[in-house]
Order: sequence, then C-alpha cells, then structure tokens
Amino acid sequence: MIEIKNLIKTYNIGGQTIKAVDNVSLMIEKGDLVSIVGHSGSGKTTLLSLIGGLTMPASGSVIIDGIDIWSMGDDKLSEFRNKKISFIYQFSSLIPTLTVLENVMLPTAFGSHDENAEEYAKKLLDTVGLKDKMTSYPSQLSGGQQRRVAIARAFINKPEIILADEPTGDLDEETEKEILSLFHSMNREKNITFVIVTHDKEIANQAKRKLKMGNGSIKEL
Amino acid sequence: MKKIKIFSLAVRNLRRKFVRTFVLLLVVAVVTGTLLSATIFITGMKNAMKIGTYRLGADVLVVPEKNESQAKAALLAGEPTSFYMDRDVLEKVKKIEGVKKASPQLFLKPSSFTCCFNVDVFLVAFEPKTDFTITPWLEKNLKKPLAGNEIITGREIPVVVGDTIPFFGAPFNVVGTMEPTGMKFFDQTVFMTMDAAYTMAENSKTKSMQPIDIAKDKISAVLVQVQEGYTPERVAIRIEHDIEGIKAIASDEVISTVRRQLNGLLRGILAISAVLWILALLMMGFAFYMIVNERQRELGLLRAMGAKKGHIFSLIITEAVMISFIGGVIGLISGYMLLLTFKSLILHSLKLPYLLPPVMVLIELLSGAIIFSMLTGLLSSLLPAVSASKMEPYEAIRKGE
Repeated sequence: MIEIKNLIKTYNIGGQTIKAVDNVSLMIEKGDLVSIVGHSGSGKTTLLSLIGGLTMPASGSVIIDGIDIWSMGDDKLSEFRNKKISFIYQFSSLIPTLTVLENVMLPTAFGSHDENAEEYAKKLLDTVGLKDKMTSYPSQLSGGQQRRVAIARAFINKPEIILADEPTGDLDEETEKEILSLFHSMNREKNITFVIVTHDKEIANQAKRKLKMGNGSIKEL
Repeated sequence: MKKIKIFSLAVRNLRRKFVRTFVLLLVVAVVTGTLLSATIFITGMKNAMKIGTYRLGADVLVVPEKNESQAKAALLAGEPTSFYMDRDVLEKVKKIEGVKKASPQLFLKPSSFTCCFNVDVFLVAFEPKTDFTITPWLEKNLKKPLAGNEIITGREIPVVVGDTIPFFGAPFNVVGTMEPTGMKFFDQTVFMTMDAAYTMAENSKTKSMQPIDIAKDKISAVLVQVQEGYTPERVAIRIEHDIEGIKAIASDEVISTVRRQLNGLLRGILAISAVLWILALLMMGFAFYMIVNERQRELGLLRAMGAKKGHIFSLIITEAVMISFIGGVIGLISGYMLLLTFKSLILHSLKLPYLLPPVMVLIELLSGAIIFSMLTGLLSSLLPAVSASKMEPYEAIRKGE
C-alpha cells in the first residue's frame, strides 16, 4: 500500500517559489491501477517521482508498505527502488551502448543476481514482441520498439509498483492496446500496483481509479 | 549472459565516444611519457655519476693549470685529450700533507690507429706499481698484471677479449673489458701501462705514419688518494698552494659541477612536467565534467533503476582510471622508445654521463609512472564523479531531457 501524506514539493524559479505538488494526501491500495490525468505542468510527473523516491519533498511523507521511504538512507532507498519500484518514461530511456537484452537486464546489475534473469528477460521481450531484436542496439529500433523494450525492462526485477509516465505516448494504436493489455494482465495476475500518468482519456478510463491533478493539487474523479 | 558490471558499462561508454577517448588517452600518454623519460634520464645520469666517481677512485686529480677544462671535459664527457707536465709534479704531490697515495696517468689522443670501428677512443696509461684505480679491477677480474702488449677496454669500444687492435703502429691484445659506467672517460677508453705507452710512442717514430712524441719524464695527471681525516678539498688547496702551474681538482668539485648542471636540468624538466600535468588534470577534469553533463539523464535513469550513489561514482572513476591506465601504458612505451632513440643526441648536446638505471630501479620507475598516471585520472574525475553521484535522480533525468 502507498500512503501519501501532506506531500509538498516546491521549486525555486527566478526567485519565486512554485508549488509543483501542493499538500497532496492519497492512499493507493496494493494491486490498484490508478491513472492520473491533468494538464502539462500540473505536477503529475513530479508526484510520480516523489512516490518513486527520485526527488525529495519539501514536506510530507510517502509510506510504502509501512515504511517512510524518506526515512531510509540513500543506499537503502536505492535498494528499495531496485526491488520494488519500476519506472516507465515517455522518452527513450534505453542505454545506447547496451543491446536490447542487456538493457532489459540492466536493473539486475544493481541488485542481487538472479540466475534466471536472462531467461525471464527473454520471456519479457517475447511478450512485448521483440524477441528477434535481442542483440540489436537501441539506435537500430523504432521509437515504439524502444518504448516496448523499456516496458519489458520495468518488469525484470518483478516489482510491486510500476510508475508509468505517458507510457504509450508515441505508440501506434495497436501497440498501445497490447501494452495496456499487458499492464492489466500484470495487474491482475501479479497484483502489481500501477500508477499511470496520461493525457489519454481512454487509457485513464480503463483504470480502476481515476485521479486528476491541477496546480499541484489532486482530486478523485 | 553474465551480470552486467560497472566495468563493462564503463568500457562501452569509452568506446561510444572514441575520438574523445583517444584524445584523452593521448594527453595522459604525453604527460606520462614525458615524466617517465625525464625521470629515467635524470636517474641514469645520477647512476652514472655514482658509478663513475666510484670507478675513478681518486679524491683529487692534479693536472696542468692551463688544461683544467680539458681534464674536466675528459672526465665528464670522455672527450679524448692529451696534455703533459713534468713527472717531478708526482714527487712533489707525494710530499704534500694529507696525500696517502699518488699515481700518474698519461692521456693520449690516438690519431693514427687504423681499425674497423669509428669511436672516439681515448688512451689512458697508468703505472701499475703505484696505481690504485685500475689495478684493483685487474686483480679482481684478470688476477694478473697487465703485460706491455695488453690493453683493457671500456664497454663501448666494440671489441672482445682476444681481439688485437693497433695503436700508433703497435698491436695490442684485448685482455679485458670493463663494466659499463655511463661515463665516457671509462666506457670509451683503452687502458694500458705507462711503460707500454712510452714504448709505443718510441716505436711510433718508425712504425706509424703519425708518430707520437712523449718523453719518459712527462705525465698528464696525478691521481691522489687522501689520508683519513683530510678532505679532498683541503688537500687540493694545499697541492695548488705548494706546486706552481698545476690545478688540483677535488672529486667533489667534479661531482658538484655535474650536480649543478643536473639540478638546472631537473628544475627545467620538473617545471615543464608540472605544467603539463596541471594542463592534463584540467583537461581531463573538464572532459569528465562534460561527460557527466551530457550523460545526466542516463545517470539519472540508472539511479531510478536502483543504482546507488557509489555505482555512479564508480562508473565515472572507472572510466577515468581506465583512460589514464591505458594512456599511461602507451606513454611508458612511447616515452621509453623515444628516450632510447634520442639518448645519444641528448647526451651529446648535454655532455653529461649516463647509464641506464638497474632493472629494479627501472621497474620501480615504471610502476611509479603507471600509479602516477592512474592518480591523474582519479584526481581529475573526482569532482565530476562526486557531483554525478550527488545529483538527485529526478533532477538529472529532467535536466538531461
């Protein structure tokens, strides 16, 4: 379970303090599939980063499975992220010097080594339809294919939470459907919690729970 | 497939920007090569001085006053020379307070020998009865005195024991070659007895196209060993005071002349090396600052995947240390090759003795240079690595977009 309490994140821009996330409190149950919609600059991505422990809040807390993630030291938080949380971004997030298979396996480099990681990575690549591209480099893939590799990578460490920021942003309709179907099946079968930030109303409507952000505040739709 | 390691990530990152990596390798190679060759060179000179001075074995060298510079040039640069003074100088020197042993030597510049090699050979004749510099070597290595038709040669004379070479029309058998000293005075010199030299001079009048004329009452120098409790400088002053027309050169004076030259050279090389090193540090530091800057998003993504600060720090440091290690090795090889190639040219222009340092010293210098180059990489990338590891993952991803 993710428990967000009075979360505030501010930025100092040109001498002015801007509240990107303004006193947000929220509970997300384990196995939930939550969508967050809102205009650009409404604080969606910042909220996602706060939940994932990528940026420190000005105040408030993020409690995951009873642990305040900001009470951990940086190394513990990194380990926690590695084991429990995965991110999917709207941009190409692959490492250009690694092959597709290596990119999918990359998160295992920072945690305990799983003997079956390679087999699982191949299975995930098969699931996203890229098994024949395992030895290719990101530059040899289309934007959509790169996104699918990043999605496969998000599942490699069998996370409990997936935080996705516009995961189907520039994918074609068919691939978008496949990816969403994968999210739903993973949510159902593995009880993975999904928090998806999207502009797409259709994707948002498919979520179990719909939230809207505006001016740093959040409300249930 | 094995687990992806920080090392393999670093290798691939270096390969990705090949030109930049190559330039950085070159910078480290130039700095390491320069430092190493300079250090080997200076160490070699000091080594030669140490061995050469030990081989000289004399505390004071007495020569004609007007030939002081020629004598120093002969000792330090092995420049063949010949000058003479009356033999009675030897008897006068022996009587000076503080003189323990005194032995004459005769310097001959051969101009008439015909042989198959082209080296400036310096002929030095010594008196076995009184000699205390060459004879100990003979006793240790040949175990017999030198006969009238026998010579021993310096290491750089291209002959072997058993060869016969002519000087001023007389054939001489090579019975021994001395260990290398780095001082041309020894390495490019042929030693014979004074009796042999006088006989050779006498015979040259009938046997040689270019006869040599040396009267038996002439000598070139007197080598002096001082008694315990006396310093070479003090005895040298006394000799100069008591005997007219001569110059007494204390061995320390010879060494200090070289040391002065060496120190000047060393200061120059150190200054150039320090400037080069600082430039290399700045250049590498700047390059790694750029690397960190352009890879911000990538580093942020690694952190989002669970990489710890230590992983990011190690990644940057590994890249820098790898560059400096490989660059260092390239620098060592090329610096050493350049040193060997231009050694003669440099020595000829500097007129200083040189002897390659012993293997163990060379190994120490090479290891030191590698450690030094790796340290350069480490120092230059330290700040960028710390700043990369301290970046907040979200900020790194956002700024790198």
